[in-house]
Amino acid sequence: MSSDAIPAALVRRLRIASGISDEDIKAIHALPFSVREYPAERAVVSDGQRATECCLIVKGFCARSKTTSEGRRQILSIHIPGEIPDLMSLHLNVMDHDLMTLTPCTLSFISHDALRLLYRRQPNLADLLWRDTLIDAAMFREWIVNVGQRPAPARLAHVIVELRERLKVIGRIEGNSFEMPLTQEQIGEALGITAVHANRVIKQLRHDGIVALHRGRVEVLDDGKLLELAGFDGRYLHLSPAL
Amino acid sequence: MPRFHFHIEENGRLIPDEEGQEFLDGDKVRKEAIATGTSIARDAFMTGSACRVVVDVREENVPFMKVSITLDVEEKAEG
Repeated sequence: MSSDAIPAALVRRLRIASGISDEDIKAIHALPFSVREYPAERAVVSDGQRATECCLIVKGFCARSKTTSEGRRQILSIHIPGEIPDLMSLHLNVMDHDLMTLTPCTLSFISHDALRLLYRRQPNLADLLWRDTLIDAAMFREWIVNVGQRPAPARLAHVIVELRERLKVIGRIEGNSFEMPLTQEQIGEALGITAVHANRVIKQLRHDGIVALHRGRVEVLDDGKLLELAGFDGRYLHLSPAL
Repeated sequence: MPRFHFHIEENGRLIPDEEGQEFLDGDKVRKEAIATGTSIARDAFMTGSACRVVVDVREENVPFMKVSITLDVEEKAEG
């Protein structure tokens, strides 16, 4: 893989969301990336572990989750290429949740030392990545509202619309269809419901002609109905330097 | 590991569970059935789409357990 291809999705997103300069793009390309392949459903970094590097997703999907003492897992977020889901480990030394792959992934690791050096040399870039972690926090706020306040069909609709908006930024939408590689059980864990309830919600959305979920892909059947059900307002994604 | 299917009925409408799930013991099945029934009932009762939810759990097509949840609201004239 060419060194430019590794951070391509990250650069694309930062251009759109934060207006990154050419000089900062050059500095990102010069980072010492260590690329590793992961199989699906494998831990990348686990709750309680001390991290020494951050992970940039090059290819594939990841998720962050936390498991209660009774063994119930809550999926906290879904991550796509161009994201650095454990960027906070640069300042928070011991992981307080798990990061795992959902699909086979190409992950690119950047040592904390290299990131610290980059921050010192390019303070602009430090600001951009700080903004990135703040957007991450905004997405968590929306996730809490979703799981805490919306009925299950609206929860699923919201997760679907958000994922589509984020995939759009990195050019990963094909017509009215895109990848959402979560099993029925994982959808349940993301929405805070059982796998059987998730199955029921998936069937309802299909029956109502809103979306069809099949083999890890979403096909949008009626965009207007989907947006209405989700009650989606994308401001919290801050997908423009003006937002 | 035995495989259990959780068929849902909402006001008698059947939503079959084709995939099913594996469970080690009956207590976990019971908890899953109650968690499923109450969370489906919450949505159905709030939106008014149904007032009775049944989770019909079968182990390889043999009835194993049934969890029924019914909404019962008594409105007083003064209320």
